[in-house]
Amino acid sequence: MSASLPESVIAIRRTLFVGGSALLTIGGVVLLLRGYADQQIFPADYFVIALFPLLFSQIAIGFMLALFGFFDGLRGGDPHHVMRRPWRKNEASVPLAATAIVVPVFNEEVSRVAQGIENMWRSLEKTGQIEHFDFYLCSDSSDADHWIEEECAWLHLCQKLNAFGKIFYRKRRHSINGKSGNVADFCRRWGKRYRYMIVLDADSIMTGSTMVLLTRAMEANPEVGILQTQPVQVLGQSFFRRLLQFTGSVYGKIFSQGCSLAQMSSGAYWGHNAIIRIAPFIEFCDLPILPVSESRGRHVLSHDTVEAALMQKAGYDVWVAYDEGGSWEEGPPNLSDMLKRDRRWCAGNLQHFWFLFARGIGAGNRLQIWIGLMAYLSSPIWLAFLVAGSVSAFERKRFITFSAGPEDLDSLRPTETMLLFGITLVLLFLPRLLGLASRLPQARRFGGFFRLLFSAFLETALSILMAPVLMLFHTLFVLQALLGWQIRWTTQNRSDTGLSFSHCVALYGWQSCLGLIGQSVAWYYLDTSSYWLLPIFAGWILAPVTAWVTASSALGKGLQKWGLFAIPEEMQVPPELEGLSGDDQAAAAGSLWPQALLSPYVQAIHTSMVRQRSAGSGDKPSPSLVALRERLIAEGPAALKPKEKMRVLWDVETVFWLHRELWSRPTARLHESWSRFQSESPKSSLLRNYLVGK
Amino acid sequence: MASIDSSSIPQSDDQAAWNEAYDRLRHFLESFALGDHTQVPRLALHLLEEARALHRQEPARDPVTVTMENAQKRLAEWLGGNLEVDGKNPSQVFSSGYLAFLLSKHLRATPDVLLASPLLAELRAEMRGTLLVTGPDLNISSMTPRHLDYGPMLGLARNTWHRWNVREILVAVLFWTGVYFVFYWWLSELL
Repeated sequence: MSASLPESVIAIRRTLFVGGSALLTIGGVVLLLRGYADQQIFPADYFVIALFPLLFSQIAIGFMLALFGFFDGLRGGDPHHVMRRPWRKNEASVPLAATAIVVPVFNEEVSRVAQGIENMWRSLEKTGQIEHFDFYLCSDSSDADHWIEEECAWLHLCQKLNAFGKIFYRKRRHSINGKSGNVADFCRRWGKRYRYMIVLDADSIMTGSTMVLLTRAMEANPEVGILQTQPVQVLGQSFFRRLLQFTGSVYGKIFSQGCSLAQMSSGAYWGHNAIIRIAPFIEFCDLPILPVSESRGRHVLSHDTVEAALMQKAGYDVWVAYDEGGSWEEGPPNLSDMLKRDRRWCAGNLQHFWFLFARGIGAGNRLQIWIGLMAYLSSPIWLAFLVAGSVSAFERKRFITFSAGPEDLDSLRPTETMLLFGITLVLLFLPRLLGLASRLPQARRFGGFFRLLFSAFLETALSILMAPVLMLFHTLFVLQALLGWQIRWTTQNRSDTGLSFSHCVALYGWQSCLGLIGQSVAWYYLDTSSYWLLPIFAGWILAPVTAWVTASSALGKGLQKWGLFAIPEEMQVPPELEGLSGDDQAAAAGSLWPQALLSPYVQAIHTSMVRQRSAGSGDKPSPSLVALRERLIAEGPAALKPKEKMRVLWDVETVFWLHRELWSRPTARLHESWSRFQSESPKSSLLRNYLVGK
Repeated sequence: MASIDSSSIPQSDDQAAWNEAYDRLRHFLESFALGDHTQVPRLALHLLEEARALHRQEPARDPVTVTMENAQKRLAEWLGGNLEVDGKNPSQVFSSGYLAFLLSKHLRATPDVLLASPLLAELRAEMRGTLLVTGPDLNISSMTPRHLDYGPMLGLARNTWHRWNVREILVAVLFWTGVYFVFYWWLSELL
């Protein structure tokens, strides 16, 4: 914990947070046990009693965080926070230092990434401080089309912004260790040239003024190792993405504020939209190898939490700047893409179990790790709790029937049970109400008072419907991770393309079946007691429809026209977000990489960039490469596997040789597709979008 | 109107091949995206005439191959003559030259300079000045993971999952049985 924070403040906050969460949990458990008074205890009840504290503590922790956040908002913010210290009074006088803005990409939509960099560049230009910042587009793309398009987009950016020597491009030959490996590669090569790096995601956008402010904050507070901003989800068009945006904008801040108040200088790092002090990051934050067998994957998948813990362990502070604005990201466009992302995050968060007990990790970081772990582990626990609760209700009912006992024994004691149920609802929904209340003064920026309320009501209804769906999938993901199935770093889909109904039936249909069977069985065995399970079964039964409807862009845009689920960035679009929505993007179409072999310009860009790192040896190509060249000519570009395409592109002499041969050989000696690529070469989308204009 | 030399007109057998050669050459030249579209057929016809002359010396070769090899040879000579490329191999000459052509504003504005000789000194200097920097000079740092003590869980997990020991299993069973009975007793008393 930071020496700049008074011990008493730390002690009071931790006592209140841990004590409050514990008291609420204990209170809930006592009420549950009192509900069992004078009742027959069945085997399933032991499971209910054992699982209940785990689930209830999660609700209690969430409630306490929201309460902390709301309180902090009421009093005008944490005076001990790094962004509220005296340096802010003269912040313009704080000097800046060399800062790299690192944008790791992996088969992302190139035009969107390039437009984002351009917007940030222009925003930084307006601050008059751009000389302190360099951009690094660090590519791990495994797709040949993306690679070639990235190179052209980079050249286009440098030309357009006159930014040669300020915007750099790096393509790794071997994408070892995913995004963290990509960032570490930057640190190893160029880290010493800079004091700070601002790490972004491919979809991240930050304003120039925010980046300047972050750099000044780091300069003014040398004990800070990582300063994380609160990225707000924006640019959504699909209903699902707009729903996530709305949730984040309305409720996100009080939770972040609460976390910051409780964790203080041992805050979270989310892997992007954050500034990092490079020297200690290089020295202390390379990820350790996990103590598991090679087959289970020893690389840390979710690197950010571990890096924050290692930074803290090295004696540096990690803060969340939750209130500075000017930091955005994009969310998944539909439920399926969110689940794809959750599958990866789940595997990563479960790996963090090892760090929960590692020596030297701070208490705040352990709390962060615990919350992350339980975000996914609570799903199988909740499922087991529901099953155990249902079995217990059935056993109780059967016992009463056979023993002909009084009817009031077929359920737990009503006073305690209803009280517990009421408290649970309060703990679940009060944070939402607090979040909503904190946004009411700015209701106009959310479409107006009534639209904000109605949107919040609809959002709550949809969350109730989607929660059981997520529970089942998260349970599967936990099982997958525990069984050791490999999870890879995959590209996040950021386009609002919608989902076909057949896809939704195929992916979620089993939940509908499960819901129908479950509802029938529950009705048969539990009679009216099965009503309690109705929200769960309804979520499962409607899962395909929910996924399909929420993925719709038309619905999302329609609701936007009505002012529902509006967020401030939609009501008044900041200049940094202009030109970034799906409608504005002119994505390059078709197969692009053959143009690296045909187009003189694209080939020149590619060979110049590859040659800088791998000067041609002048040796003869290997027989396998010779065979690959001939196969490419005879069978066309579509015949090559992704790795074979990359192999061709990595060899400068092969690219040059193919350029010559593909233009010189008679059509009869070329695969028929090459004629098409030759005639398309002058009007290739790479040329139109990036190199010579439309 | 000037008459056309009939000796340069190809025989009908070759017609298709020369048409193909012309089309190929036109596509190739169009891919330079010259500002003046009429420059492409002018250049193409000029290079095609040269190729026909060459083809008469080697009639066995395919017209497409002869035409395109000649065009690329002419480009290499032109680029090599205008860039300081001593010691560079042909692929470097082409990539440097094409990039210079792409990045030069003057060259793009005056497309008739492609393959024109001699180039204006100003344009030549601009082409020679083109340098593509994809990243600054390396400044290598060592970034290696430090040892992390994973604490008691590591030993527990390894001993439990990697090695079966009867005594440890018995202790575990006894421990959890004890926990169960304590829990059971506590619940019975409470309720």
